[in-house]
Amino acid sequence: MKRAFAAVAALIVLLGPEFAANSPTKPVGVPYSWPTWVLPFGTDHLGRDVLSRMLHGGRPLVLTSLAAALAGVLLGAVIGLAVALTKRQALMWPLDAIAAVPPILVLLLTLTAMPDRVGLVLAVAVVGAPLAARVTQAAAAQVVGRAHVEIAIARGENWAWLLGREILPLVGGTVLADAGMRFVTSVHLVAAAGFLGLSVSDSDWGLLIVEALPGASLQPWALLVPVLGVALLAVSSNLFADRVARHSRGMLG
Amino acid sequence: MIRRLATGAVLLALLSFLVFVGVELLPGDPVTTRLGPTATPERVEAARHQLGLDRPVLVRYGEWVSGLVQGDLGRSATGKPVSEMLSDRVGNSVLLAGISLVLLVPLSLGLGLLAATRRSVSAGALVLASIPEFVLAVGLVLLFAITLRWFPAVSLIPAGSSPLAYPSALVLPVLSLLALGMSYAIRVIRSTASTALRSPHVEFMRLNGVPSRTVFRTAVVPAVLPVAVQVWLVTGVSLIGGGVLVEKVFGYPGIGELLVVSVQSGDLPVVQALTLILGGAMVLALLFADVAIRLLTPRLRTTS
Repeated sequence: MKRAFAAVAALIVLLGPEFAANSPTKPVGVPYSWPTWVLPFGTDHLGRDVLSRMLHGGRPLVLTSLAAALAGVLLGAVIGLAVALTKRQALMWPLDAIAAVPPILVLLLTLTAMPDRVGLVLAVAVVGAPLAARVTQAAAAQVVGRAHVEIAIARGENWAWLLGREILPLVGGTVLADAGMRFVTSVHLVAAAGFLGLSVSDSDWGLLIVEALPGASLQPWALLVPVLGVALLAVSSNLFADRVARHSRGMLG
Repeated sequence: MIRRLATGAVLLALLSFLVFVGVELLPGDPVTTRLGPTATPERVEAARHQLGLDRPVLVRYGEWVSGLVQGDLGRSATGKPVSEMLSDRVGNSVLLAGISLVLLVPLSLGLGLLAATRRSVSAGALVLASIPEFVLAVGLVLLFAITLRWFPAVSLIPAGSSPLAYPSALVLPVLSLLALGMSYAIRVIRSTASTALRSPHVEFMRLNGVPSRTVFRTAVVPAVLPVAVQVWLVTGVSLIGGGVLVEKVFGYPGIGELLVVSVQSGDLPVVQALTLILGGAMVLALLFADVAIRLLTPRLRTTS
C-alpha cells in the first residue's frame, strides 16, 4: 500500500509536465482568481494556472536534486577514500574550509557566476561533499587496516583494485545511507535556490512560493499548494533516506 | 590544545583566501555597480585605478588581510565603510539566532531524551524537522499571520531601532529558526541517549530498582551533554548564517537580506566581510566545542 502510494506520487512528479493542461508561463485567466473546476488551484499574480505550474516544476526539482546528491557523494567518497588510504589529513582541509561557509552563500556565489543548471548542481554537490567525505573516511578508516587489504597491498595491486574490490564493498552500505541524507539536503537547497530567485526553471516550486507570498491574502491557494508540495517532497525523501539507511545496514549484517 | 588552535588558524587563513579569490571570480564588478551602466570606458578605467582594482589579486589580498588585522573591513562599492553597514545587521541576526538558541537548548534536550524512549515522538519530530525552514516559515505566515492574524507577516523594524522593541514581530522568525536547528539536535541527542540507555551500568541501576528519574539524571544526561553542547554551539552559529531564507520571508533587517543584495549587485567587499564573519564564527564555535568537551568529560581531563 505504502509502496503503491509512493510509486504513484513519484510518477505524478516525474511525468507531471505531460499531465499539465496549460502552459506554465502563459496567463490563462484573471490574476489571483480563486479555484474553479477548470483551474483547481486558481491563478497566480500574472493569471497563470497554479496546477500546471506545479506539475511542470516537480520534475526539474527532483532530477536536479538527484544529480547534485550523486555528484556530491561521488566527489566526497573519492576524497574520503583517498584520505583513509593515504592517511593524509591535509587532503580534507579544503573541504573543511568549504564546510565553514554557509550553504546558502555557496549557492549564491556559484549561481551568480554560472546561472544555469550545471551551476546549481555544482553548488549543491560542493555543499554536500564535505559531509560525504567525512562519513566515507570514517567508514573506510576501519577497513584499511584489515588483513585482506594489507595482503592486497603486499601483492602490489593498484589503486583501482584496492578501492573497487577490497574497500568499496565494505563501505558501500554506509556511502549509500549517506547518499540518502545528501538527497534530502539537495531538495532543500534546490528549492531554496528557486526561493531566492536563482531558479533555473521557470516554474520551480521555490519560485512559486516566493512569487505567491506578497499576494497570499488575496489568493492563499497559490501559496499553500507549492508549500505543501515542497513539504511533502522533503518529508517523503527523508523517510526514503531512513529506509535506505536501514536496508544498507542490513546488507552489511 | 595548541594543535587545535593552530588548525583553527590554518582553516581561517584558507577560508579567507578562498573567500577573496572566489568572490573575485564573480562576474559582478564594484566599479560598474557604483557608476551604473552609462559610464564611459575611460571613467570605468579611472575608477578602477583609483580603487586599486587594476593590481594583481594577490597584492589586493595582502592589503585586505592587513586591513582585517587592524580591524578595517574596507569600503563597500557604494562608498560607505563596510563595518558601518554591517554593525546593525550583524547585531539583529545574532539577536534572532540567540533567542532561538536559548529556546533550542532545553527543547531539544527534552525532546531528544523523550524521543530516545518513545518511538512516536521521535518519528513525529523528525517528520516535522525535515521540512525546509523557509517552507515552514511560509506555512507559519499562512496560518498565524494571514488566517489567524495573531502576528505580523513582515517584520517592520525601522533602521537603527532594536528588534526587541517589537516582540510580536520576532515570534514567527524565531519559531522558524528553531525548526531549522531542531532536527539535527534532536537526532544526535536521541541516538546518544539511546546508546547510554542500553549500556550495562544503566541496566544494572534499573535492576537495582533505581527510579527512572535518577537514572536519567545521573547516567543518561551526563553522557548526552558533551555531545549536545557541541551540537548546540555549531547550530547556534549556523542559525546566524542559515537564517538568510527566514530573514527573507519576513523581511527581517539582518545580514541575510544584505548578503543576497550584495552578491547580486557585485558588492564584493561586503560579501567578503560577511563570509569571513560567518566562517570565522563557525571555526570559533568548533574550537569552543572542543574546550567544552574537555570540561564536561572528566576522563579527557585526566589523561591529557
